[in-house]
Amino acid sequence: MKQGDNRTSEPFEGDRLWRSLEELTDPASAASAALREFPADNPWRGPDRADAPSRRRFLQVLGASAAMAGLVGCSDRPVEEKIVPYVRQPEQVVPGRPLIFATAMPFNGYGRGVLVESHEGRPTKIEGNPDHPASLGATDVFMQASILSLYDPDRSKTVTRAGRPSHWGAFATELTQRLEAKRQSGSRGIAILTGAVASPTMGAQIKDLRRRFPEIAWYQYEPTARVNTMAGAQAAFGRPLTTLYHLDHARIIVSLDSDFLFEDPMSLRYARHFANARRVRSDTREITRLYVAESTLSITGSMADHRLPVRPAMITQITHALAARLGVAGISKLQFSGELDRFIATAADDLKQHPGTGVVIPGEAQPPEVHALAHAINQALKNVGTTVTCVEPAEVEPTDVRQALKKLVEAMENGTIDTLLILGGNPAYTAPADIPFAQALEKFSNARVADGRLTNFTARLGSHDDETTFLCQWHVPEAHYLEAWSDVRAADGTTSIIQPLILPLYAGRSAHELLALMLKETAQSPYELVRAHWRAQRRDSGDFEQWWLDTLKKGVIDGTASAPVQVGAAKIPAPSSTPSTSVTSLDLIFRPDPCVWDGSFANNAWLQELPKPFTKLVWDNAALISPTTAHRQGLWDGDAVTLMISGKQVDAPVRVLPGLPDDVVVAHLGYGRRRGGAVATDENGVRGFDAYALWASSTPGFATGLTLQKRSRRWELVATRNHHAMSALQGVDHVAGVKPHLKPDVVVTPETSRDELELKNRRLVRVVSLPQFRSNPQAVRELGGESAKKPVLSLYPTSWDYSQGPQWGMSIDLQTCIGCNACIVACQAENNIPIVGKFEVARMREMHWLRVDSYFSGSPDRPSVYHQPVPCMHCENAPCEYVCPTGATTHSTQGLNEMTYNRCIGTRYCSNNCPYKVRRFNFFAFGYQSSKGPEQLQKNPDVTVRTRGVMEKCSYCVQRINRTRIEVEKTVLDLTEQQRTDEARQRRQAMYNDLQTACQQACPTGAIVFGDITDRQSTVATLKAQPHDYTLLDELTTRPRTSYLARVTNPNPALGEGGVA
Amino acid sequence: MTTQVSPIRPSPVTPGTEVLAPGHSYGSVTDHIGGIVLWRRFGWIWLAGFAITFLLVLVLTGAIFWLIVRGIGVWGVDIPVAWGFAIINFVWWIGIGHAGTFISAMLLLMRQDWRTSINRFAEAMTLFAVACAGLFPLLHLGRIKFFYWLIPYPNTMWLWPQFRSALVWDVFAVSTYFTVSLIFWYVGLIPDLASLRDRADSRAKRVIFGVLALGWRGASRHWQRYQTAYLLLAGLAAPLVVSVHSIVGMDFASAQLPGWHSTIFPPYFVAGAIFSGFAMVLSLAIPLRVAFKLQDFITLRHLDNCAKLMLVTGLIVAYGYASEFYMGWYSGNVFESFVGLNRMTGPYAVATWLMLTCNVVVPQALWIRFVRRSPFLLFILSLLINVGMWLERFVIIITSLHRDFLPSSWGIYHPTRWDIATLAGTLGLFLCLFFLFCRFLPVISIFEMRELVHQTGQGAHPPDRMEPAHAH
Repeated sequence: MKQGDNRTSEPFEGDRLWRSLEELTDPASAASAALREFPADNPWRGPDRADAPSRRRFLQVLGASAAMAGLVGCSDRPVEEKIVPYVRQPEQVVPGRPLIFATAMPFNGYGRGVLVESHEGRPTKIEGNPDHPASLGATDVFMQASILSLYDPDRSKTVTRAGRPSHWGAFATELTQRLEAKRQSGSRGIAILTGAVASPTMGAQIKDLRRRFPEIAWYQYEPTARVNTMAGAQAAFGRPLTTLYHLDHARIIVSLDSDFLFEDPMSLRYARHFANARRVRSDTREITRLYVAESTLSITGSMADHRLPVRPAMITQITHALAARLGVAGISKLQFSGELDRFIATAADDLKQHPGTGVVIPGEAQPPEVHALAHAINQALKNVGTTVTCVEPAEVEPTDVRQALKKLVEAMENGTIDTLLILGGNPAYTAPADIPFAQALEKFSNARVADGRLTNFTARLGSHDDETTFLCQWHVPEAHYLEAWSDVRAADGTTSIIQPLILPLYAGRSAHELLALMLKETAQSPYELVRAHWRAQRRDSGDFEQWWLDTLKKGVIDGTASAPVQVGAAKIPAPSSTPSTSVTSLDLIFRPDPCVWDGSFANNAWLQELPKPFTKLVWDNAALISPTTAHRQGLWDGDAVTLMISGKQVDAPVRVLPGLPDDVVVAHLGYGRRRGGAVATDENGVRGFDAYALWASSTPGFATGLTLQKRSRRWELVATRNHHAMSALQGVDHVAGVKPHLKPDVVVTPETSRDELELKNRRLVRVVSLPQFRSNPQAVRELGGESAKKPVLSLYPTSWDYSQGPQWGMSIDLQTCIGCNACIVACQAENNIPIVGKFEVARMREMHWLRVDSYFSGSPDRPSVYHQPVPCMHCENAPCEYVCPTGATTHSTQGLNEMTYNRCIGTRYCSNNCPYKVRRFNFFAFGYQSSKGPEQLQKNPDVTVRTRGVMEKCSYCVQRINRTRIEVEKTVLDLTEQQRTDEARQRRQAMYNDLQTACQQACPTGAIVFGDITDRQSTVATLKAQPHDYTLLDELTTRPRTSYLARVTNPNPALGEGGVA
Repeated sequence: MTTQVSPIRPSPVTPGTEVLAPGHSYGSVTDHIGGIVLWRRFGWIWLAGFAITFLLVLVLTGAIFWLIVRGIGVWGVDIPVAWGFAIINFVWWIGIGHAGTFISAMLLLMRQDWRTSINRFAEAMTLFAVACAGLFPLLHLGRIKFFYWLIPYPNTMWLWPQFRSALVWDVFAVSTYFTVSLIFWYVGLIPDLASLRDRADSRAKRVIFGVLALGWRGASRHWQRYQTAYLLLAGLAAPLVVSVHSIVGMDFASAQLPGWHSTIFPPYFVAGAIFSGFAMVLSLAIPLRVAFKLQDFITLRHLDNCAKLMLVTGLIVAYGYASEFYMGWYSGNVFESFVGLNRMTGPYAVATWLMLTCNVVVPQALWIRFVRRSPFLLFILSLLINVGMWLERFVIIITSLHRDFLPSSWGIYHPTRWDIATLAGTLGLFLCLFFLFCRFLPVISIFEMRELVHQTGQGAHPPDRMEPAHAH
């Protein structure tokens, strides 16, 4: 437990009954012993990771769930009776062929449509639902990784009371008795705490609850809820509204500390639309220009044409200045100088020149005032209706969640409530530091009347035995979204039915069931509840059953997207006093973690081992600071510091990140978990540091007045990449200890000198500006240097015939890759890629087949950032192949560089000879070690789990290629002799065009394109014919099948080249 | 095949340059060398040395056991540095082996009389070094149990090794080398084993040496055929001196990795191998001649000659280094020039500079006659060169791999305790075998020494009774 963390708590003690002396003296260990002994309600018979489900058990569940085929619904337990295997096969199930179901994932309160691949009743992979407006077929890291959370062996498996195993019946009896007693005495003192609710069925249930218990109090708390956005709309228009952006129409985007490409509920849609308007082809005349003023280095910021890192409080002033220049009434002009002024002036001019096609996007971290001003600016520019619309919030009741939590704490403390149900979330961990929720809950749970009986009742529905469970009397396991029926709305209002694909693995319950229990409804299964709700909604509109089936099939309910609301002129709030940004103190910026979000994914090993954008850190968060700040404070990577702000302090490791503004510390929430699973917590107790301990409800986005104190100890931070190797930055050498002459240059632009191009630069990332590209489309090719111009000479005969299609190839567009990592997790899920743990990553043994390299160039204060996804290049002239002594890696006739795991004996020469270092080696039995428990149910049955001592690498998802190939061959067989020529070719090409690799399918921006390069009509072939197509290390004549499209910047001529204001 | 070989020219006997100290007869030679095996007591130094090295063999066994149980991950190898200590040690050991073959085959064919006193233990050294080396290609496999897939054996699946891979050539090179070295060594031992049989004082020794001597009677016909066979074997072994390490060099040269991809590797590896081999010969000979009072047989002349060879091969190696650094710069290739810079100034700069010191600077002392004739200085120098040559392989393998084309994939390599245990273990195995060898077999070829006695004119019997002139 860290110093200054005052939320250390004693567990809830329960009734003072004891069964043994151990229990009396050491209740905690006795309880865990009892849990090991009697894991009631647990279908897997054992709480430990080591207790994998037996084959028999698995087949039982499998048979049962397959028979239901996802439509019959969830019974409360897998069947106990004797069951028989398929005699007559269920209609839809063909062994070996997956079924795809549409459902939706609730995330941060909102829904995102997903398609789930299910193999014989076992969900294995998540894809985006193309029909869902918040997904458009893409996924982010959280959606991809949620499949692993389903099989998390640390999920709670049984109803517990005071940490001891109990059962649902006991809980139901106690709760209903209590509520009955309450109802007779006027129903005072009942409270429920939920996350942000955007489920219509749940909304209706809560409405019913209020009818039944008129005095019931409903609180919502979601640490990352969009409170400032709502409050901004409240200030501008008098009511909370959700703002939606339509970036496919936008020419000029100005982001004010907004990471709309990653952190927004609609980020996948925004990323797709942003990329659409940003893509460069040989005939492109115009693309979007992106201005970003931000206080962190965000994914959005890395895509900017002009990026201005500023201290967070400056954003308000910049917004004011922009508003003043754009003629928003009632704003006095602010004077700035230097680059700040130039940035504002240019952005304002650009916006002015593009009325109706510009957009100003404020970030959630900024105060409501900024949001209100942004509304006013967008109105002044006539962007409303074209690039910006406002809709009614998707939430049942939009709330200021932090105020709600504060009220709940008050209610707990002053005794106005005595029964508390916490549905989901983990508020004891995620509560702001100034709201003593954990202490209040502990006191509340343990309060007793004089005779020793407990005064209050606390129950908690949660997925893990976590910080909140620890402080509650009852714990009920929560069903995963793939296990229980529900419904959810996206931020734009589009509603989806959440249909489960598998019976609850651990007897989990959904919130609907709990609410139904409180309502004493007879129909308590979530399936019936959801159906009943929608049947009631659609009483007058025809055949419900048909509608229900169609809706489930599609994954979205038609016509549920909210219509834009007409709003009046935005009112501008009086300028708040700008907080003084003194030089002596620092600003502390809070952001949800790009991998574990608010901490709810902390027990997901895929996300823990996912290299964080820019820093490539894994298994830890860190206090991020700029190189200048680091130099000034005498700090460097891995130094432990004490962060102190308004009387609270926490120890954290430092990580230097170029591109941050000076004098800020960026802290990601979600780490420092004290309970909640073996992955979330370290063997030593905590993983990372708990930024919530510094997070005050009044300053949710950022706070000022931080002081840093260097500690003597070091903190081992592990990153997948040695970060100074990634940067061609001038000026950080003295701090990083990097020898300048060993620092590689990787980025080339037409400004790169000839000498540097030929002799010093590695030419990995090629960047041109749009005007340069338009005046000379060959500009990128010329960046290849002399070697690119020479014909390839070889002593060997070119014996391979690559003219017969299909020939597989991939094109990756560096222009639209935003570095969001979705491809990495998608690849991991698709290809059964194991995790290796922090220690092994430190030894450079991570297994990801696909990585996203980030390179910095320019000055460390104002760097340009480039993302470069690197899968296997599938070289036609592969250096790995001729060095393998056993011929385990060979070339296919379709141009794939194939690994034959069976034939590999592990000499590792192929990796040594791979110039791209994309090969990964099983130094230990990673594939088996990392999935001894139920996680192995996630494995893709079409992909081999690799054994120890074997090399592996990206296969271009050969299992998907083969699935399509088999379909194609079947189709061709079905055709008559005459049809086989033209029609067969057309059909074949059409089927091959539908083929997507896992990374391609996940990519929100469509930056990855895969297909048959011999088919001139295919997207990949047209991309490879682009003038700015290039291959990595072309001078080695490896002839990679994976090629890149150069990054094309679109700087404002007024600000000049360089991507920096 | 003619067996008529012209007799060797007697060496000019000037003080300090003789290959055999004056005053030896056939009998004294045989008694002195054979006596070490037959009558000498086990002293505490030998026992202690054997115990320590045997302990290291146990360490090696433990390290191999753990490697097989846990997997290759117990070593420090990673991505990008997928080859580590195992390959370094392999190349080092196989290089050491080269001196033995060079002495016994090349010098035999070139009729260098001074080889006689040192060829026997140099050949044993080769054998043991190759045995140590041979362990590593097996151990470094991810799946050791399938090592035999490297061998072209007929199988029902018609699967053959991939003959374009230098690793397959390695299998042939090393196994041929081991086989030829073993046969050559054993054939050379046969007359001596017969001598030991004849002088043995117990039945057990007589039986053992008798079986090993394969019925050798010293008949003229025996000698005639023996010499022919020995020369033929020498002819077979001589090309191996060049081929084996050339192929090992090609393991690297055939890759496209900057720092490996270099046409100079085969000759430069061969020179380096003989360089390190002679260093190891000296490291073993100098203590040996003191321990068993063999100063009469292994004279300063021998040490001097070995030192000269070291100087020559050392200069070739130095030329190799210079050429590598120069070509890195001269090529104008960013990756090639980076390798040179990174070796000299990167994280492994210490290894590079130590290597240059040990292999280039230190051997220059051999220009001085005094150093070449000072056993103590030579011993220190030979140890330094052994270290330097190990570092050379470290530098070639690790620094080339750890920073190659894409900076995003740059890494670092740290050996683990298991890496070090394996290296120490093979050192132990090598020395342990050598300890056994020097007590149970004649460390110097007795019959060839007797010839030397004759040739240097010290023989007790008249010239017409000497063995046919087809001795060398």
